[in-house]
Amino acid sequence: MPRRTPAPAAASGFDFASLVRQHQAMVFSIAWHLLRDRAVAEELAQDVFLSLHQHLGEMESPEHVLYWLRRVTSNRALDEARRRQRRPMVSLESAPEPVAVTPAGDPLLDTSLRKLVAALPEKARAIVVLRYQEDLDPAEIARVLGIPVGTVKSQLQRALALLREKLSRVAGQASDLSLGKE
Amino acid sequence: MAPLEDELKEALRRREPSPDFTERVLARVAAAPVRRVSQPWVRWVAAMAATLLLAAGGLEYRNYRGERARDQVLLAVRIAGSKLNKAQKKVQMLTHRSIS
Amino acid sequence: MKAAGLLIASLLLAGAAAAQQVKWNFDKLAARASDTVDVSLDGSLLRFATKFLSDDDKDQAKVKKVVGGLKGIYVKSFEFKKPGEYSAADVESFRAPLHAPDWQRVVGTHSNEDGETVEVYIKNDTKGIGGLAIIAFEPKKLTLVNIVGAIDLDSLSELGGFSGIPEVEVDKKK
Repeated sequence: MPRRTPAPAAASGFDFASLVRQHQAMVFSIAWHLLRDRAVAEELAQDVFLSLHQHLGEMESPEHVLYWLRRVTSNRALDEARRRQRRPMVSLESAPEPVAVTPAGDPLLDTSLRKLVAALPEKARAIVVLRYQEDLDPAEIARVLGIPVGTVKSQLQRALALLREKLSRVAGQASDLSLGKE
Repeated sequence: MAPLEDELKEALRRREPSPDFTERVLARVAAAPVRRVSQPWVRWVAAMAATLLLAAGGLEYRNYRGERARDQVLLAVRIAGSKLNKAQKKVQMLTHRSIS
Repeated sequence: MKAAGLLIASLLLAGAAAAQQVKWNFDKLAARASDTVDVSLDGSLLRFATKFLSDDDKDQAKVKKVVGGLKGIYVKSFEFKKPGEYSAADVESFRAPLHAPDWQRVVGTHSNEDGETVEVYIKNDTKGIGGLAIIAFEPKKLTLVNIVGAIDLDSLSELGGFSGIPEVEVDKKK
């Protein structure tokens, strides 16, 4: 049996540094939106690129690189989130909502929404992030996360319904505050 | 797209990591230790394992591409079929009207 | 020598299939569309994709039968935020390649219900139907379909009926 080893990164035809620059925002943002900790997200993102470097010889195309990065980042971030147990496992419905402290202008709405997304259970959070950060359709999300597409669709629907409900409650509180109500 | 979805796209848009992120990754890659194994049989086992992993990774991506292409075929057939079906039904309806 | 001959033959066939694909220019519409669906499957990608169609699934098995032997399937669908984003001249530019002698318009219908016009064209060759083109347009949507190869229109139409294949979502490009 002939000896074979994975092709080194240099022989893969990909410029690794360019790949890092091209995809760093995507990888970091998936990790950050899932972990809500910038330092941890950066560290995880670095680890993902380190792994990419080790597996560069297996990459068949730029599309393969993109798919691989999304899959590995999402799954590692999910593993990390579960490991850190930043919040106990709760149902979607009992996920806590942030307390509005000021009336919501656009940047504050962004922050409220990000916090609400961050409060979702990990799998639902990953689905929402891949759908709205990466603009992936449910079939694609299912392939990245390795879960059935039916699960993706139902979790996405539930997450959106919940976010809508919690957001309107947050907006209601903010409006009460602005009107001087307690 | 509904307003909440627009807002989610905005709230969850990609952000850049630290300005020196790329440099730090490249530094880590350069500093990563190269594992050297002296015994030939261990090298052989490692090479076989690497080959299997390579094959598994390639197969996994092939399946991913195949499933995407299959979904595209199904979508294309649905769109083409539905337009054709609509036209045919209209013709049948008009033909039926002109006969009766 | 034989391998080289086979390679040349397959390249010629691929070239011939590409030559039969209707040449439409989508640049203008793509720039104005709020959503685009783009499916582009040449012969080799179609053959690869059909391997993933399940024989156990009734609908997928039907699709497999319909697309087997085709040389290409190309679909472009543009959605617009408001009516008037494309013109009659745009539609005419898509009809232009289908005025060629080997293309024949077989049906043109208009629905008052949703305002959609559907035009169906078939390409004639020595063996019968060698291709299909569909131009479908309504106030906020325009769809173009081109199928290269001998297609069974009745089977395809059946697949697009309400009892046909379920919706499959693929990436919409914005």
